[in-house]
Amino acid sequence: MQGRNCTTGKSSTAFKQELLKNLLRGLRARTDACAFSAMSVHERKRAVKSSADVAMAAARGVGARWPKAILAAAAASTSSNRSSCQVRSSRFRRVARRCFFREKRRGPAAGVAAASSVDVARRLVRRRTMALRKVIPGGDAAMDEASLLREAMDYVVHLRAQVDVLRRVSEAMQIRSSLLRYAPSSIHGQEASSSMRQ
Amino acid sequence: MSSGRRGRISDEEINELISKLQALLPESSRRRNANRSPASKLLKETCSYIKSLHREVDDLSDRLSELMSTMDNDSPQAEIIRSILR
Repeated sequence: MQGRNCTTGKSSTAFKQELLKNLLRGLRARTDACAFSAMSVHERKRAVKSSADVAMAAARGVGARWPKAILAAAAASTSSNRSSCQVRSSRFRRVARRCFFREKRRGPAAGVAAASSVDVARRLVRRRTMALRKVIPGGDAAMDEASLLREAMDYVVHLRAQVDVLRRVSEAMQIRSSLLRYAPSSIHGQEASSSMRQ
Repeated sequence: MSSGRRGRISDEEINELISKLQALLPESSRRRNANRSPASKLLKETCSYIKSLHREVDDLSDRLSELMSTMDNDSPQAEIIRSILR
């Protein structure tokens, strides 16, 4: 899979095309390796979702942290079994809980005087920053505020592209299979890839 | 985007990032954010937006997975879908 350092704007189409190519390749590889019929419904859904995320990360390439985190997590889940992944995520949860409780204890212990509005605001920002780190892949790594905001922006932009590509692929598949019902002998063309070229 | 610059980040830079990020968020949340405590509201809106995008990806992946499951049989429909992946 090829990666590319894509920014927004005019190269958004290029990114989506790269994503689409990666996605179709990834899905084909999975169905070649292990037939969908052999998987449960749940496993199938996870396989498609994972392919979509890996396709997005590979298309983004270098220039942000989140793609590396996605690819690392995907590699880890295929090489090891599920139990080790669960251990990793519960470890993170334990660390996060410890940080949260530490902050709570600090509050009342700081004195009988009421917390100033600045303290409250600062605490709120800190809590929400932590929450934001959790939803961005690799967001829990040491990162200053500015870098985290940059990561968030980059991730949002590319997430939107991922949604767009997935929607188009689903629609293309639905169109084809419904057309097939009415005119089985006359189906040609590539709706999904041609609509990407706009 | 540049990365890896050590040292102090200026308030200006943070504010610039905040307004850029705000421009990315859906219109409705932007209006609500107008005046009050921009940083924490922005963080919350960004977090919610990312979560809603995740949900969209999940739903679309589910739909895609259902469509692909018709590949299991040898119907002409399955062949069409397989041809998309080729």
